[in-house]
Amino acid sequence: MSSTTTASHVDDFCAAVRPLLASDQLQIDESSALEVGGLAPKAIVVPSSIEQIQRVLSEAVIHVVSVIPIGGGTHLGVGNVPSSYDVALSLARMHRIIAHEPADLTVTVEPGLRIDDLQRALAVHGQFLPLDPACEAASTIGGVLALNAYGPRRHAFGTARDWLIGTRVVHADGSLSKSGGRVVKNVTGYDMHKLYVGSLGTLGVLVEATLKVAPLPDSESTLAIGSRSAAHGAELILAAHDAGLALHAAELLSPPATHAVLGQSSWCALMRVAGGAGAVARSLREIDHAATVAGAAIETLESSTAWDAWSTTFRPRGLALRISVMPSRVGETMQVLDRRLTGGSAQLSATVTTGLIRASLDASSDGQALAVINAASEVAAQFDGSMVIDAAPAAVKRGIDVFGPTRSDFAIMKRLKDEFDPKRILSPGRFVGRL
Amino acid sequence: MSAAATSNAQEQANDGVMPQVVRELVRALGRERVLSTPEELIAFEYDGTIERGKPQAVVFPESTEQVSAAVRIAHRFDVPVIPRGAGTGLSGGAVATIGGVVIALTRMKRVLEIDVANRLAVVEPGVVNLDLSKAAAPHGLYYAPDPSSQRACTIGGNVAENAGGPHCLAYGATTNHVLGAEIVLADGEVAWLGGTTRDVAGYDLIGAFVGSEGTLAIATKIVVRLMKLPESTRTLLAIFDTVDDASNSVSAIIAAGILPSALEMMDRNIIAAVEPVIHAGYPLDAEAVLLIEVDSLEEGTVEQAEAIEKLCSANNAREVRLAVAQPDRERLWAGRKTSISALGRLYPNYYVLDGVVPRTKLVEVLRKTYAIAERYGLAVANVFHAGDGNLHPNLLFDERDPGATARVLDAGAEIMRVCVDAGGSITGEHGVGLEKRDFIAWIFGPDDLAAMAKLKPAFNAGERYNPCKAFPTHKGCGEVRQAHIQRTAGAIGTDIYV
Ligand SMILES: Cc1cc2nc3c(=O)[nH]c(=O)nc-3n(C[C@H](O)[C@H](O)[C@H](O)COP(=O)(O)OP(=O)(O)OC[C@H]3O[C@@H](n4cnc5c(N)ncnc54)[C@H](O)[C@@H]3O)c2cc1C
Repeated sequence: MSSTTTASHVDDFCAAVRPLLASDQLQIDESSALEVGGLAPKAIVVPSSIEQIQRVLSEAVIHVVSVIPIGGGTHLGVGNVPSSYDVALSLARMHRIIAHEPADLTVTVEPGLRIDDLQRALAVHGQFLPLDPACEAASTIGGVLALNAYGPRRHAFGTARDWLIGTRVVHADGSLSKSGGRVVKNVTGYDMHKLYVGSLGTLGVLVEATLKVAPLPDSESTLAIGSRSAAHGAELILAAHDAGLALHAAELLSPPATHAVLGQSSWCALMRVAGGAGAVARSLREIDHAATVAGAAIETLESSTAWDAWSTTFRPRGLALRISVMPSRVGETMQVLDRRLTGGSAQLSATVTTGLIRASLDASSDGQALAVINAASEVAAQFDGSMVIDAAPAAVKRGIDVFGPTRSDFAIMKRLKDEFDPKRILSPGRFVGRL
Repeated sequence: MSAAATSNAQEQANDGVMPQVVRELVRALGRERVLSTPEELIAFEYDGTIERGKPQAVVFPESTEQVSAAVRIAHRFDVPVIPRGAGTGLSGGAVATIGGVVIALTRMKRVLEIDVANRLAVVEPGVVNLDLSKAAAPHGLYYAPDPSSQRACTIGGNVAENAGGPHCLAYGATTNHVLGAEIVLADGEVAWLGGTTRDVAGYDLIGAFVGSEGTLAIATKIVVRLMKLPESTRTLLAIFDTVDDASNSVSAIIAAGILPSALEMMDRNIIAAVEPVIHAGYPLDAEAVLLIEVDSLEEGTVEQAEAIEKLCSANNAREVRLAVAQPDRERLWAGRKTSISALGRLYPNYYVLDGVVPRTKLVEVLRKTYAIAERYGLAVANVFHAGDGNLHPNLLFDERDPGATARVLDAGAEIMRVCVDAGGSITGEHGVGLEKRDFIAWIFGPDDLAAMAKLKPAFNAGERYNPCKAFPTHKGCGEVRQAHIQRTAGAIGTDIYV
């Protein structure tokens, strides 16, 4: 992949930023650890303050070097292969909790804070951030927001956009802007922070985030219900949802996914029942009853073990796809996917009530990966859905747009990118339509 | 405010081309969809605020194509376009400050689809909020955001303002319930933002569009999430002898990790206004009442209601009443839902503020609010979304009293400043509109506003789409009252960005 920037640009940039940084904040070597889409950065900058980030980006614009912000480095495969990648901007040193107001249920953090560290600090006060992306614990809050990463709890808690109430962002020109605030309800100014969620660092570098947090449930239990078919599993979940049962998560797993998560080989409805003690007890009773009526095996699992295993299975690696269809069509889509993707070896998991299906598999060759991608995309189209590729071999990704075809709003997105980053220095080429 | 006071060069410029614009609008949309005589236009000079502005034409398109056609004509002649729903807005958003063409969406009021299995609806923008919930009810579903104006306000207006309501505490405001929209851009182009799921690739443009106060585009179709009607609902009325105790109860409930579906406060002046008319059972000698609702499984509401009762009692509630049966619950709510209109019994005019503060700051901010009103010799009545920290102090006055309006605006500005100083914001759900645009500088600095300003070119919106709204005044928006507000904002401080 040819890079648009010449080495001398990067040298000039490094010379310009060196005086701004301590010696260990600038590393000049091609580090494969921070590779994005098969490209290695020529330099790594590790700022420790917002001011440093502002000055680094100002220099990056002057020297037209491309910069990719990096959080925990757990999801670098996400997005299109960048058109250029000169400098990795690691946020690892900006990991403070700036403010936590337990009684307000809000927290303000720096981007490099690891999700597991945040969860530990919140748990002390009986709270948590209900975003549970499938990834190693090393994910950072900045990364989770930039990717709009979420996990099974999306069933009950939505996505990052529903929890983020304020941001500070450094833009490509080095300017720092704020959006939202620290109050849970606020309509002053445009909701810019919505745009930054899922923007893959193409509009700016997130340097501070204020989020709402939720109280930890009093009581929690995880059930695995074996089911004869995808449709049957989906029905069980939708029935529990319709009855208003206390579910924090409800995933439908294909047999290979069930095998990876709990060592059995059937379709499985995996439900995280959580809430007040009375509501949980009643929900467990009703789910148990429904399973018994259906003649399905039901098993109670240790919650954190089960969901950690789910996370490990579905972290984006190898070939990882996300297919979105209407919730009512999840059952049939899963059945067809299970059959069509490598003859039943794909690990599939669907957040049934949101219509989101994940597929995780290991392709033996680039050719096979491409075949699987094409098949999955056909299935998505057959069910009026869409597909995004979260992970694939770099060689395969280079030839495709991992986000699929653009839509009627792409002109607006392109103009937005033009406004924020006219020189295309921030994560260039990585986003939708190769923005 | 008299219309004369707002007229300026821009309006005169409109006047020149307007006859031709009207002719073209009539040709494109039909005579029956265009109003342009002064008498016809009077009803469209104001919304729910004290702002006024005279449009030169109002059109009532009945399709996306007609909206686009009207917008194209206005674009060609470079005259302002002002989208309008029911006109219940409380920040002057639908007011034609510098004249132009009002595009009233009220005839686009079809519920196009209710997808029961997927719990969503596709509606035209003129659908009245409550009508959507009524249409969904036979399927056991409802639309959660419920502004107190829900019998009149439109979904399009809700989207533009990111409207909230009593039941937004647990389930979020409009932005959390809107999945997608078909929009008409300022040049007449049509695009879709978002879709029927949250999994549409790209920037969250629907997220940025919701709450953009009609300045970026006109929504012509809206996809919203519907929610399942809960199995069980319990409503509590907690009665307090001091506002402090009521505020402390709110903080205690949130701090205990209970997120009721609604948590509303009404103070003595509101009780005095509603009780004689509605007979909701609010004691006239109480200083404040909290109206608290929980909904979920029966077991859940029992647990939560008990916990809430204990917390209120621990914070000196004189009495906590529980209503379970629907008629009893409705009676408790009746007072809340009619409270703003009931204020009309006490005073001819009211000015409602919309500040938000962290929930832990309620005691302090309410005390200061009462003190400010007293200093200005104004009566104030508070009815608000306490659980969100979203205050609605209503300043009561008679605009015929000399100087009353100016005093109200000054007191309002001071109260907003108190909210900002407490770490809050100047508007929680009513929008910035015309009214609060010069107070934005208390919260956002030039670089923050510059980032926001990039959305206008991205949407190709220019300065003709709902001009002079939501952001600090620019040239061409000058007006008499605005000068007053700018002076006030300046006097209280232009110094801080929180
Ligand atoms: C008694 C009373 C109680 C209220 N209670 C609440 C409350 O609890 N919570 C709350 O949030 N608000 C409340 N409001 C304020 C108001 O009802 C809301 O802001 C509502 O969303 C406005 O809707 P509308 O249809 O009346 O819009 P309008 O007032 O007509 O317009 C509001 C804004 O929306 C824009 N707009 C309208 N339609 C469109 C469209 N299709 N596309 C783009 N822009 C459009 C207009 O240009 C304007 O900027 C209350 C108002 C009153 C009078």
